[in-house]
Amino acid sequence: MTSHVGLMILFALFVSIVFATLMRDDPRQQLRFGAQLFGAFVVGGIALGWILYFFPL
Amino acid sequence: MRATTADREQSAIYTYLICLAAWAIPGAGHLLLGRIQKGLTFLVALSLMFLCGLWLEGRLFPLEIRQPLVVLAALADMGIGVIFFIARGAGAGVGRVVALTYEYGNAFLIVAGLLNMLVVLDAFDITQGRK
Repeated sequence: MTSHVGLMILFALFVSIVFATLMRDDPRQQLRFGAQLFGAFVVGGIALGWILYFFPL
Repeated sequence: MRATTADREQSAIYTYLICLAAWAIPGAGHLLLGRIQKGLTFLVALSLMFLCGLWLEGRLFPLEIRQPLVVLAALADMGIGVIFFIARGAGAGVGRVVALTYEYGNAFLIVAGLLNMLVVLDAFDITQGRK
């Protein structure tokens, strides 16, 4: 659970929940928007990780 | 009918009280404004995020004026409201720098505070009739 990916997913989950609740009023729209945000965060994070893999420090 | 000065003052006090409640307890502003679902979601999500930050051994930063970045982190931490002071009082959030999850913990604590500030602004907008 305390792996980098696990914590990134947990972080994305909390931020998505709060943003979706802030920006949409209807619960169904909140769920839809929250799922989209969560997916974007996770996929974006993994994609960024792979991009950085090719540029070692 | 025009609003009298007393009405406007009462409305301003009401707005400040809602914002204060929204800051002190995440989601309380929305609960007081009758937005039960939103208020409960904020209460659960932000409190859990803050507790995760403590569990990950993040640090609740002190207000050290000589270190501007630490002050900014402390202000962000305090955005979560009363829970911050309860945790500090209980001796939590000391922050173990050598812990593997220290930086993650800081990120959770700081972002939970910043998100609660956004929630306070949302409650303010609702009291002003913008939402």
